Amino acid sequence: MAGRDFVVFVIRRFINAVITLLILLLLMFILVHAIYTTPLALARLYAGPHATMAQLETIVKEYHLDAPLYVQFINYLVDVFTGNLGYDPIYKEPEVYIIMQYLPITLTFMIPAVILTVLVGTLLGAVAAANRNKWIDYLIRAFYVFTWSSPPYLIALLVLWVFAYLLGPYTHLPASGYVNPLLPKPKTITGWPLIDAIIEHNWAYVDSYLVHMILPVLSVFLYSFGVYTRMARNVTLDVLESDYVRLAYIKGLSRRVVVYRVGLRNALIPLVTLIVLTFALSWTGAYVTEVVFSYHGMGYITTVAITSVDPLMVYDITLFVGISVIIANFIADILYGILDPRVRIT
Amino acid sequence: MTKQVVKRRVGGFAVSIWSWIKLISKDPAGLLGLIIVTAFILWSIIQGTLELLASYLKDPGLGWLLLPYNPFAQNLAGAFQLPSWVHLMGTDYMGRDLLSEVLYSIPYSAAYPAFLVVLSAILIGAVLGISAGYLGGWWDEVLMRVTDAFLSIPAIILAIAISVLLKASFTGMIYSFIIVWWPIYARLFRAETLRVKAMDYIAAAQLYGVSPLRLFFKYLFINTIDPIIAYAMLDFGNVILAASILNFIGVGLQPGLPILGEMASEGVSWGFPRYWWWALFPSITILIIALGFVLLGDRLQDIIGGRAAY
Repeated sequence: MAGRDFVVFVIRRFINAVITLLILLLLMFILVHAIYTTPLALARLYAGPHATMAQLETIVKEYHLDAPLYVQFINYLVDVFTGNLGYDPIYKEPEVYIIMQYLPITLTFMIPAVILTVLVGTLLGAVAAANRNKWIDYLIRAFYVFTWSSPPYLIALLVLWVFAYLLGPYTHLPASGYVNPLLPKPKTITGWPLIDAIIEHNWAYVDSYLVHMILPVLSVFLYSFGVYTRMARNVTLDVLESDYVRLAYIKGLSRRVVVYRVGLRNALIPLVTLIVLTFALSWTGAYVTEVVFSYHGMGYITTVAITSVDPLMVYDITLFVGISVIIANFIADILYGILDPRVRIT
Repeated sequence: MTKQVVKRRVGGFAVSIWSWIKLISKDPAGLLGLIIVTAFILWSIIQGTLELLASYLKDPGLGWLLLPYNPFAQNLAGAFQLPSWVHLMGTDYMGRDLLSEVLYSIPYSAAYPAFLVVLSAILIGAVLGISAGYLGGWWDEVLMRVTDAFLSIPAIILAIAISVLLKASFTGMIYSFIIVWWPIYARLFRAETLRVKAMDYIAAAQLYGVSPLRLFFKYLFINTIDPIIAYAMLDFGNVILAASILNFIGVGLQPGLPILGEMASEGVSWGFPRYWWWALFPSITILIIALGFVLLGDRLQDIIGGRAAY
């Protein structure tokens, strides 16, 4: 399996991802310079709303904001790849340091939600496709049409209401926060609080963290479930109408074997690319869910940055989201290459 | 003679609309979507015109002519009222009637973003996508790379960043949506153009010496638009949802103007399960509007894609 063409394939995909990242950076750069046209306006972006004129001018000199655009872009690229996104005007700390504190918290509850969406969505999509135009198909379709067309905060609010308030006496699920704030924090080893706590065998912390994670995971899952299941159903329908599925029927295999062994296995390949789409979609769901559940991750600092007029922070968070999606895309491409050897050649 | 021709064409148009309606209504879900979307469009036109007239004639009372209450009138003694027959959706912390606020805000929080963003995205996407598909070469390559980069970031999150850079106002939100929304349409138009380009009538038009502008509108745009209309119908719902998400987070608000997403977020911050009606009714309004577009778009996609048995 790991032949020479596979290595070439991985390298080509990697170069592709880097080019996408470069164009993304160029786009963001152009956007910022189209909105903040003068060096002083740019300096205000870096210095915050309350900076004096003298401070702005020192920032213009220090960051070379009056240099030609291509010099600025090269400086910017060098800074991004050395992990230097500048100081935040509100927190007075490096942007990367702040974001790296919040990013793991969002990803730890987002990734399980994506995995759950993919597992349940693929299965229900296949069930709906196999029982096309029967009651179970209508039921699944009605459910995903509703979750798809409801705003994510409505889903989060309903989840909160049902599981934390109405059923609260039975479930004992917390309504806000990502961990019990009274518990001592684990030492920073990897930067991911959950993994750090597991390494330290701090089981009380792990338990509290997981319990706080349940409702946000459920909300994000329900939010991205709609789009994913709809596509999973369509993909499975296409597969079930193909020749090799007919052949499987002709061979005399039972319907269950045909649908869930032959059909589903072949539908999995196109669904791999959908995982990235679900991941990208879940970011939006995660933002809103964090606001509803006061879960202190990327969505939370975004709202704080919006209210404290800190566009630089929002900009850098967006950059991190974009990078995470590009990485996810790269991983999905590799998976696709492993599952479907035909892709490696093109 | 010419009069007759014109008459027949107008009649043909009306007949074709009626046949479309009949076609859509064969599926109960499609019919439901059609009803919701029609009601939404009618209300947006009526209320939007009244609001425009009110601001033009400097007579704010016109803005709530059709509403049960004045959506801005405060009544602190009647704050936080539960939904009842007097206030169908209850009242907020200043005693304002929520139903009036919801109805008042529909044009701003749903109709304007949806139509401005989708129509601009279709126009930009058509020009760029058709030219990329038709001309090919380096222009195609560059454009596809740019759309790749745009699509690598979730559109809503990029829109949040752009509108915060644009000072987070309502118009800033619309601009940011247009900036992030066109790449998908450019992709769709390009794919359709590649399909259409190989057909004989395009070659015939080229041989005939049709001017490029005519080629673009009459031959390429008209023949690539069908699947895009179905997608756009779904996309109206997507834009409405996206706008409400931005408003919920606190972007794209207009001081002094009630907006559905903002009302929901206020309801949450004042205490969600306690004042449930304040957060839920505006969200459910968005759900219903988006549901209408999703159902109608799904049905249209089935009809145009040929998947439905009609």
